[in-house]
Amino acid sequence: MTTGISLVRENAESMQPPRTLWVSFPLGRPLGKPDDAAFQHRVIDAALKLLRAPSGPVLADFPEDAPPAGLNDAPACPVSFSKPTEDNDSWNAALRAELQTLVPWHDLGKRRRAGRSLVGVSGYSMTENIEKLGTLLDNETLPIAELKWFKSAIEDAKVFYLEALTAQPGRYNQEQLERLFWHETALGTAILKFNKMFTAHAELSYMSRIIVPRTVLT
Amino acid sequence: MSKVQPPLGPMVWTHLNREIAELRIALITTAGLHFRDAPGFEFIDSTFRPISGSEDADNLVMSHSSVNFDKVGFTEDVNLVFPIDRFRELEADGKIGSLAEIHYSFMGAGLNPEAYATSASQVAGLLKQDKVDAVFLTPV
Repeated sequence: MTTGISLVRENAESMQPPRTLWVSFPLGRPLGKPDDAAFQHRVIDAALKLLRAPSGPVLADFPEDAPPAGLNDAPACPVSFSKPTEDNDSWNAALRAELQTLVPWHDLGKRRRAGRSLVGVSGYSMTENIEKLGTLLDNETLPIAELKWFKSAIEDAKVFYLEALTAQPGRYNQEQLERLFWHETALGTAILKFNKMFTAHAELSYMSRIIVPRTVLT
Repeated sequence: MSKVQPPLGPMVWTHLNREIAELRIALITTAGLHFRDAPGFEFIDSTFRPISGSEDADNLVMSHSSVNFDKVGFTEDVNLVFPIDRFRELEADGKIGSLAEIHYSFMGAGLNPEAYATSASQVAGLLKQDKVDAVFLTPV
């Protein structure tokens, strides 16, 4: 028998799995709040209780929300980014310089998180990935033969940035972080440039949708 | 993929025939989790990765292909996505019977449910082998 959580009520309503607890939390956070064991236990208990339902399908709503941190609650951004531009003389240099400003903050965040980081899924170092991404843009080239590397490299890079920007303890507003990443960093501008290049490519336009979130493009 | 999908299939219902405190429970996530040394998921991928309950879950990484959700919450606390410590606490407190030896991770993006049928049935066999009574499903 199964029970579980749904973040998208329409999915659970239409697909009708036997027992589902719908939660109002943002995507990426099915248990609601990080580092809040009591809150997470309330979510789990509510989903486990559905195992006792006499018949199904059962779709219950979790009664609590996990509101995001307010804009003024988050610790201050540790880095001042230069205004990014799509017309960099050298993307390679701009991205490497930006990476250097973030390295100490990423190190700090990693220490605070007892060594935990999601960076490294691409199998290459941040410097290798950033230099290669910069060189591709400097040559106005798409990594047609290395799409898997490309996708994991930009994911690694984005996670590195966000882990660095959240190095200090505190509650962060995710929308604020996303806005900062996509509109104030050279890397965000670089990925948006790749997005435009992929959009214009006859066979690879689908890549444009899997490198930039819908909310940034609309 | 549309938010509204056809029902998964003919309704299947298993009655709870004992206390939750006696159940052996496994976790299954669609968050594309795996240990760093396991192969990552492809853009579109219906395979699964085993997550041993005896390994340190803090070493889990994520190669989910969607860019539409926050991954840093998971960096901050594995349990936000894969609540293994919470279930260990439930086991220690006697609120569930036991935890499975192995849990499982899929990458839920870009495919309709039927694409996972073969993998899902393989996992069902593995869960039976591990004498699991109930599965706790988490999305991302």
